[in-house]
Amino acid sequence: MNPIIFYQVVAVLLLCLGLYALVVRRTLVGMLIGVELMLNGAGLSIVAAAQLTPMDAVLGQLGALLVMGLAAAEATLILSIVLVVSKRFGDVASDTPSELKG
Amino acid sequence: MNEMYLGQFAFAFYTLIVLAGGALAVSSSSLVRAMLGLVVSLFGVAGLYLLLLAEFVALMQILVYVGAVTVLIFFAIMLTRASSDGGESEEGGLAATLRGILVFLVPAGILVPFLAVYGVTGFPTPKNVSPDQLGAGLLGPYTLAFELISVVLLAAMAGAVLLAFEKRGAK
Repeated sequence: MNPIIFYQVVAVLLLCLGLYALVVRRTLVGMLIGVELMLNGAGLSIVAAAQLTPMDAVLGQLGALLVMGLAAAEATLILSIVLVVSKRFGDVASDTPSELKG
Repeated sequence: MNEMYLGQFAFAFYTLIVLAGGALAVSSSSLVRAMLGLVVSLFGVAGLYLLLLAEFVALMQILVYVGAVTVLIFFAIMLTRASSDGGESEEGGLAATLRGILVFLVPAGILVPFLAVYGVTGFPTPKNVSPDQLGAGLLGPYTLAFELISVVLLAAMAGAVLLAFEKRGAK
């Protein structure tokens, strides 16, 4: 077996762990942790593909760095959204903000 | 031959760290412990990056993820007083766990056999790219992406400030 398959399997397992967290967790923060796991799997998959195939390695590593930048931006925004939700509803469970105001 | 076994051993070790940390991150009833599991998992992924000879990405992983993103998550836990036990203590019951296991197994059950059957044949050893080549790439063919990510980060920062800003005297 070639090494790239093993790296991709680890990346798939990280993706599935993140999906599991998204479904099982009750709070927004727990779901955020799941999303971070999934983004890590994505980065690992990109770097493994870039380093172990004839693909341009610079492109792959820069792609992983961009994924990290996007993850940081996303975590910032989610932090402020979680703050707003907790201020307005007093709880950060994902089923608390269920009111629509028209 | 010995070095090859050493590489396999290191891969197995880092994979164990990644999966153990990930399992803690998704299953712990305390959010702070879940975050610690995430940190462990991130370190394991950094080790895998090192094994792939992507040492710059590994260092950035530790700097950005372990250094910054987990601090943000910790702030989110702290500021929302998500009650140090995380509000995760009351479980959604058996049904939620079953749904979670289903969501875990279905993509894994589809993607892993596909990988095993149709996976590409790669090199046995990774390529080596020095950080100055990465820098040249950022300032050469990938300048647009570099500039766009800074715009995205600025927009995220401004949006976060805008969302969390409280007018004086409001309420």
